[in-house]
Amino acid sequence: MMDRNAALVVRGLTKSFGRNIVAGLDLRLQPGEFYALLGPNGAGKTTSLRMIAGLLRPDAGSVSVFGRDVWADPIAAKSIMAWLPDEPLLYDRLSPMEYLEYVAGLWRVPPRDARVRAEALMETLGLWPHRHERCEGFSRGMKQKTVLAGALIHEPKFLLLDEPFTGLDAASARLVKEMLQRRAAAGAALILTTHSLEVAERLATRIGILAGGQLLAEGDLTALQLRAGVSAGSLEDVFLRLTAGEKKAAAF
Amino acid sequence: MLGHGRCPEQRPWPSITKFFCFFLFTKRSLPFAYLVFLMFNPPGFFWLLAQEMRVLWRGSMLVRSRRYVLGPVIVIGLLFQSVALLLAGEITRHRLPEPEMLLVANINLFFFFVLMFSRAMIAAIDVLYGRGDVDFLLASPIPPGRVLAVRIIGVGASVAAPWLLLGGVLANGLAVYGQYWALSVYPMLLAEGLLVAALAFALVVMLVGTTGPAAARRAGHTLALLMGVVIFALGQAPRFMGPALLTRFWQAFTPSPGAHGPALIFARAMLGQTMPLALSLGLSLAIFGLVWVTLDRRFANGSISAAAYRPAGATRRQGASFRAGPVSAVFMKNLRLLTRFPGVVSQTVYRSLTLVPVAMILAGRLRTSGGVEVAVPLLVFLSGQLGLFFISVLVGADDAPDLGASAPVARAFLRRAALGAAAYATLLLLAGPVLLVLWRARSLAPVLLVCMALVLASNLAVGIRLPIPLVRAFFGKGQTGTVLGLVVGVAVSSAWAFAAWLLVD
Repeated sequence: MMDRNAALVVRGLTKSFGRNIVAGLDLRLQPGEFYALLGPNGAGKTTSLRMIAGLLRPDAGSVSVFGRDVWADPIAAKSIMAWLPDEPLLYDRLSPMEYLEYVAGLWRVPPRDARVRAEALMETLGLWPHRHERCEGFSRGMKQKTVLAGALIHEPKFLLLDEPFTGLDAASARLVKEMLQRRAAAGAALILTTHSLEVAERLATRIGILAGGQLLAEGDLTALQLRAGVSAGSLEDVFLRLTAGEKKAAAF
Repeated sequence: MLGHGRCPEQRPWPSITKFFCFFLFTKRSLPFAYLVFLMFNPPGFFWLLAQEMRVLWRGSMLVRSRRYVLGPVIVIGLLFQSVALLLAGEITRHRLPEPEMLLVANINLFFFFVLMFSRAMIAAIDVLYGRGDVDFLLASPIPPGRVLAVRIIGVGASVAAPWLLLGGVLANGLAVYGQYWALSVYPMLLAEGLLVAALAFALVVMLVGTTGPAAARRAGHTLALLMGVVIFALGQAPRFMGPALLTRFWQAFTPSPGAHGPALIFARAMLGQTMPLALSLGLSLAIFGLVWVTLDRRFANGSISAAAYRPAGATRRQGASFRAGPVSAVFMKNLRLLTRFPGVVSQTVYRSLTLVPVAMILAGRLRTSGGVEVAVPLLVFLSGQLGLFFISVLVGADDAPDLGASAPVARAFLRRAALGAAAYATLLLLAGPVLLVLWRARSLAPVLLVCMALVLASNLAVGIRLPIPLVRAFFGKGQTGTVLGLVVGVAVSSAWAFAAWLLVD
């Protein structure tokens, strides 16, 4: 039974490549929620996001976005989703304007709306002077901003962001954080993975800590502190305590 | 890339070199032994060379291919070797006198030289402009001369490899019949590859230094393409010369018996004569050493200026008009990527040039309605090859496949869009020649159009599953591709072209 009120429902998501990468992941997000998925390298964050985005078929489990099953009805689910990977998905030989035209076409944004949104996004992100240059000459940060504009042009209700601040300078990072928070305030749900615990602490309404493909803990900072037994520690203390326990268990 | 993942104690090199030095060098030659020891140790010359060869091998078509191709390659290799054995038997039975052998060796060496030089120029440009690992190596404490030397050897080996494979099977066949001199083709082609790579690097580095990165890149590519054109034209020259002129040509270039001279050194080396072989190898090594020693700083400077280079069109105004729906958006994107693919012009010209010899042969066979039907099998073959190339560009070198996969469109739609764009580009390119043929002989229309449609459909189906390997334009960009696609594509194009030929003949 699909829950149409929830933005995301993940049940028993499992994937293994010889060894278990994600083992029975359960997640639930409400509209307007900003969820940070944290974990050490190799914890299964990117694999989880790729399965939620419908890019990697899970061995078991189900994913539904606003009541649309990602694997049973992928087109309906993807039409309200945006996926921002850790490496910018960009065509080097297209200009940002051409790239946005392509993305808007794929998501069937009406041409007039697409042009207005593309111009506004490029203005906001400082890409306007470079709108007709090919992306091959862009810095990492500019590429990231172009891809972000592509992710927002169709005004998705659900965003999957894998390390979205990589390569951005401080001013751009702040700008992007504000844009993402505005999307959340408008009712979109967001999942972000990051290694910057400070970013997660400031942005997220809820944080999940993943290690060894399993969700170790979930909740706001207070709930995580309780779970880790660190009464007044920072998110960094909580994260290290929880993942250290997992490492010991794995070693044992 | 440079094996940083392994600690020095795990490497086999130090222990091997210590063993080697201990047994082979006396106390008197200890400084030399120590030098050799240093060269094998990180970051010595041979150590760097070993890394280069490893990267080259792993980046080679066979290893890069996602599909399993070793079996078919071995089968084709054995087939080649069997044919070469038969050919070698014939050559052994009808051995030419020495002057003719020298002429044949010289002509072969000349052709190898030009073709290798053309490829080495492109490779040298890629090293300077392709970035990535050259930046990494030049940022390390390794002297730039050593990086240059290792790159020359790498390029030399890669340009010589195809000729070594082809010449090698014939040499092996001749050796089976007791003609051991033929084995000299191995050191000779390797030496020629080294020489050609050294000269190509010298030319590219000098061009960058004198004309700037943009002009040097254009000049280098044009020169490489021109050499390809010239070699095809030269290869066909005997067809246009009358028998009398051809005889005079052979007589003029055939050396007199017992002749010795600098012009015959390489040819004599190719025929396995010891002294010329030693001289040829020495000369190649000397030129390689000269480039290494004299151009190291220029190479580093050239690499720095090439880093500031942006490809043409990077700042040109690009039009974009937002369209409704994915069909036109995907179609436009595919066409833009095709037209902006770096090798699109040179690859199309190259594919057309390969048909020149076939056209010459067919021109002599087909003369039923003014010779225009010669074009039918050629256009059919070219349609197949261009379709295969274009679909491989769209499938094999897609920068962002996940973007399409994450979009709310069916995967089959994206595949069909790529097929449509590749077919459209092929037909657009060949529209002129096709219309010309149909204007001259309207009766050929059914055969030409049906065979073109069939070959295009077959090769697009091949290319979407087995995209052919493309030029690795930028370091680190993963591109799929398999030689199996290349082999199947050529076979399919040839089969349909043969069918078209049978129908018009």
